[in-house]
Formats: sequence, C-alpha cells, structure tokens
Amino acid sequence: MIKIAVYGKGGIGKSTTVSNMSAALADQGLKVMQIGCDPKADSTVSLHGRGTIPTVLDLIRKKKHDILLEEMTAVGYHGVVCVEAGGPLPGMGCAGRGIIAALEMLGAKGAYDVYRPDVVFYDVLGDVVCGGFSMPMRSGYADKVFIVTSGENMALHAAANIAVAVENFKNRGYAQLGGLILNRRNVRQEDEKVQELAQDIHTSVVGVLNRSATVTDAEETGKTVIEAFPDSAMAGEYRRLANAVYEAAQKG
Amino acid sequence: MPMKEAVSCISTYSADTFGVCSALFELGGMIVIHDPSGCNSTYTTHDEPRWYDTDSLIFISGLTETDAVLGNEEKLADDVLTAAADFSPAFIVLLCTPVPLMMGTDFAAIGRLIEAQAGIPVFAAPTNSMDTYDAGASWAFELLAKYMVKTPAEALRTGFCCTWQPEFASCGSVVSQGQEKKTIGVNVIGLTPLDFAVNGSDLSIREFLEGCGCTVISSWAMGSTLAEIEQAAAADVNLVVSYSGLAAAKELQRRFGTPYVVGVPLGRSLQGGIAMDIRMAAAAKQNRYTCAKRVGSAEEDIVIIGESVYAASLAAALSHEYGCGVRVFCPLKTADGILTGRDRVVASEGELKALLAGVRTVIADPLYQPLCPAGTRFIPLGHEAFSGRLYQESIPNLIDHFDTFARKVTERKDTYGAE
Repeated sequence: MIKIAVYGKGGIGKSTTVSNMSAALADQGLKVMQIGCDPKADSTVSLHGRGTIPTVLDLIRKKKHDILLEEMTAVGYHGVVCVEAGGPLPGMGCAGRGIIAALEMLGAKGAYDVYRPDVVFYDVLGDVVCGGFSMPMRSGYADKVFIVTSGENMALHAAANIAVAVENFKNRGYAQLGGLILNRRNVRQEDEKVQELAQDIHTSVVGVLNRSATVTDAEETGKTVIEAFPDSAMAGEYRRLANAVYEAAQKG
Repeated sequence: MPMKEAVSCISTYSADTFGVCSALFELGGMIVIHDPSGCNSTYTTHDEPRWYDTDSLIFISGLTETDAVLGNEEKLADDVLTAAADFSPAFIVLLCTPVPLMMGTDFAAIGRLIEAQAGIPVFAAPTNSMDTYDAGASWAFELLAKYMVKTPAEALRTGFCCTWQPEFASCGSVVSQGQEKKTIGVNVIGLTPLDFAVNGSDLSIREFLEGCGCTVISSWAMGSTLAEIEQAAAADVNLVVSYSGLAAAKELQRRFGTPYVVGVPLGRSLQGGIAMDIRMAAAAKQNRYTCAKRVGSAEEDIVIIGESVYAASLAAALSHEYGCGVRVFCPLKTADGILTGRDRVVASEGELKALLAGVRTVIADPLYQPLCPAGTRFIPLGHEAFSGRLYQESIPNLIDHFDTFARKVTERKDTYGAE
C-alpha cells in the first residue's frame, strides 16, 4: 500500500489533480482510496458524482463512535473509495483537530485493512497551518508528500512553507517530500521559478499540467477529465502525472 | 456534552492519566504528564496516597499558552531528556492531556526522538484526562506485559516452530512429569491504590496466596520491583484483581500461554474458590472467573456500586457466606465474564439514580449516597478512585476483614451514614 499526501496553496487545483490521478490509477486496475482532508468536503465530488456524501465528522457529530465503515465511504469511479473528513461548523471549533479525529476514526474502523487499497491519496487543505494538518504526513499515514504549485508567488511561498514543515519533521519519521507538481497558470518564467524552488528544497518536479479548458469542461459535467474526456490531451497529462507520482512514491 | 453524561450530584472517577501514574508509580519509570499543571496535578495531592512517603519520577511538563500556540514541542523533548539524564529512569511514559490532545501533539514521534537520544524506552500513552482511571491503568499494565516481561532464556534457547505459538509456556508446575509439586507461581495483576487503597490489601492478597501453597512471582504493581515483574513469565497463573489487570493477563496468555483467574479473595468461601480455581487453571491451562460464581437468591435486595472485579467478588463472597442476594451496578469499564445476568453497567448518574429506586441496601463509596432514595440502607465502602483522599483512612482491607464488614451488611439497621 502506497500512501501519498498532496498539499499546496488553496485553489491551486489539488482536488482536481488528485481526483484525476485516482481515476487514472483506478483505470489501470489499482485499488485507490482518496481521503479529502478539508472541511469543505469537496475533494472527491467528481469521483462519486453524488453531490455530497456524509463526512466522517458529520457522522461522529450524529452518532459518536457508533459508526460503520461503510457509512464513511462512497465508492466512485472504477471502484475508487471516497472519504471526506469534513470539519467543524464554519467559524467554529478546530479544523485541525477535526482532521485528526476523522483519520483516527477511519483507522479505528479498519478502513485500510478492509479495503486494502494499493494507493491512498490524502488531499489536504492548503498549508500545514497547525498540528492537525500535519496528521496526513505523520508516521503510519502518508509515505510521501507531493506539493502542487504554479509559478505564482503565493503558490510558491506556500509550497516552500510546506517543504519546511516536511524538513522540520524529518527526525520524527514522518513522510518524505516526493516532489513538486507544476500546475501551470501561464505566468512569466513559470517553469524556471518552480525549478528554482525545487532546487532550493532539494526535490524535483515530478510532473507538469498545462492550463486547459478541458478541466473546466469536465468540472461542468461533475466528472474527472479521465472519465469525461478520456481521449483528450489533458487526460493523457493526468495519466502521465499519476504514473510519475506513483513511481516517485515508491522510491526509498 | 449531552445531559446523559452530566454529573450534578456525585463525584467523577479519577482520570486515565492518573490510572497510568498509579499503575507505574513504584516501578522506577519516569512519567511525564504534558499539561500546564492544572487539574492533572491533583493526582499527587488527592489520588496518590504514596506520594508523600515514596519517591517516584512523576512530572508535569508545565506546558504554557505560548508553547501551545507556537508549537514548542522541542521544549518537552528537551526537558524530558534533561530529566532523564539526571535520574536515569528505567523507562519513560509521555501522557497526553486535553491541551496537547486539541493541539494534535504527536507523542509517538516525540517519544521516538527522545528514545533515540536517551537510549531509554519511551512509550506514548493514549490518554486524554477525560476517560476513567481504569482505561489508563489497563493500558499501563498491558504495556508491562507487552514490553517489560522478559521471555525466559529457556525459550530463547529452544526457539519457536510456529508463529502462532506463545513465546514460552510456563511448565505448569502444579503437574510436572506426573508428580504434583507443592507450589504454583502466581502474578497478582491489577493492584493500585485507586482500587485497593494503601491499607495492606496488597500484602493480604500475597499472604493469602502463600497460605494456599502459591509463590507470588510479582505483584502488579504494588510491592514489586520492575525486575520482579520482568520475570512474570515464570508464573503458572495470573490472578486478576481488577478490570485494569485483565488486558495484561490476556497479553501474558498470548505471549506465554499463562491462564488467568479473575477475583479478589474476599471471605473464606471465595478464597477457597480462588485457591481451587488457581490450581485448576494451572493444571488445565484454562481461565477461571471466580468472581462471577454467585449463589442466587430469591430476594435480591443489596446493590454494590463499584469497580467490576472487586464489586463482583464482594457480591460473590456475601452470597456464598451469608446467603445475600446481591447485584452489582458498575459505572466503569468491565469485560465479559465478570458480571452476572442481573448486574448492570451504568452509563450515567441519571440512569443509576433510576436504578436505585426501590433498592433496600446499597454498598458504595460515600459520595454515591446522594443518589439513594430516602430510607435506603447505605453502607459506605470508600473507593479512592472516586472520592480521592476524603475517606482514605476508613477504606477497609476486606481481604483480612471481610467478616467484620459482612456483619455490618447483614445487620438490620435502618440507615448507615457516611463514615
């Protein structure tokens, strides 16, 4: 089982990228689980096509510990197991603690043993702002962290912060940095800027995604690009990226 | 918090953090409660009677708001490393409390870091200061069973042939090569002052076992050193005297095939039953729940509120020797086989109050008395985990003085006040 956490600045396209990678790997016959770690609970929406699914924290709120594993999951495109951690009421509670509670509940209910996924993606909200958001990179969770970034300064800054967190935790046995994913926004010298960041944080760019209207077209249909436009150039890019990430995640 | 969990009239039980501290107090480990030194400090002042006359390396980290907000987790690691260098503890346990729980402090990772630098085993307890003491004590005893008890050299020499086999099976010295030996090795598991006070109960259990031909290998964890506990695999039987000891006994059975007997030796009849069950368990390698062997009575008018193994043992002793009809209402954790059909696990103060309506006699910690309807005979039996030091001096050693207590129960007086 390969466990991969994907971080990056809010709005950079993490969920779209992760969902397309999940779909691409599922197409290849791999058993994939995607866990959205964001109170908005919209990470897996293009995979399960149900609009919303009950989040783990919703279920904890309603039923405390008396929750069945099946209630926390929805099976989506080509068997991808979709989970949304959820969060507290907007403006209240502690979202970071919520991520911990949700991931612990998933583990306690045997999610990894029952579904036995080949690949687990943790799609994590924005930056590593507190202890809760480092949970997916802790020992027992992700093996590798990948950061989605564009050449925009704020995205690069967020990526650098996340890389610092990974570096800070290296003596704790946490996940290692697997690499950067460049999601092009067509800013000037974009590739050079991202390459420079990769050098600074001693990693590499494992894949590049071009800006494409196909992504928004697929979003309109409520599906991933892989499902909605399987023959498109963009679907090919996602497949190449998924394979590159899967390969990089297996490196020691 | 739903009203079901609200407590308005009675006390609450000691926290899981205190259970860990109490279970490990005498074993030379360093226990660090990661907390600002608020409510968790009351362990030392209210819940640990050994605190003032016995040294133990129990520390509060002194977590500050600044440390919490800024995530200064290195400070905890540095302080523990400094203290470990000064005191050279046998092991280190880090205890989580509500503040680090909310911050999501990764104790396992900090523990690995400390262990790598100090060269001392570090364990992170899954406590939160909101669960009850039995959860913490149970975890601590199980920790000893998993990591501290050594596999005998004999087993290491012979090796294993199958992964499902226990690491070592004690030879069952009661029956050895067709000849009955006179002694059976026993570990007593589940002893803490939170359940047994410091009134000589631990020594009385030891004397009882020696009196019926057993050798006490170790006593978990009052009156034994860590070195004695490390040799626990040599025992033929484990005597579980509280729910807190059950998980450790199960782990020792998994590792070494040692059967266990559950019960507190209260009163001659139950003592005889436990002595017999220890011999039978050693011979047949089967577990025995002696505390659940109660004689039925048509008139069940006595209720004991308390820890399940102790309360069930007291109920069994009263039923055997005085023909009393006794039920147990257990507000704590319990396990299959300890309680009987008419006993109840109670989840809330409200539920307990409703159940006590119409009960004629209640035996419980004095702080339960406000829940009893007027006219109920109330017989106080202090429980340190519930009332702390309030009734500490009057908690009886029922292993030695069961008859005195039982006479009090069977006398037909109208009401007993709290002592």
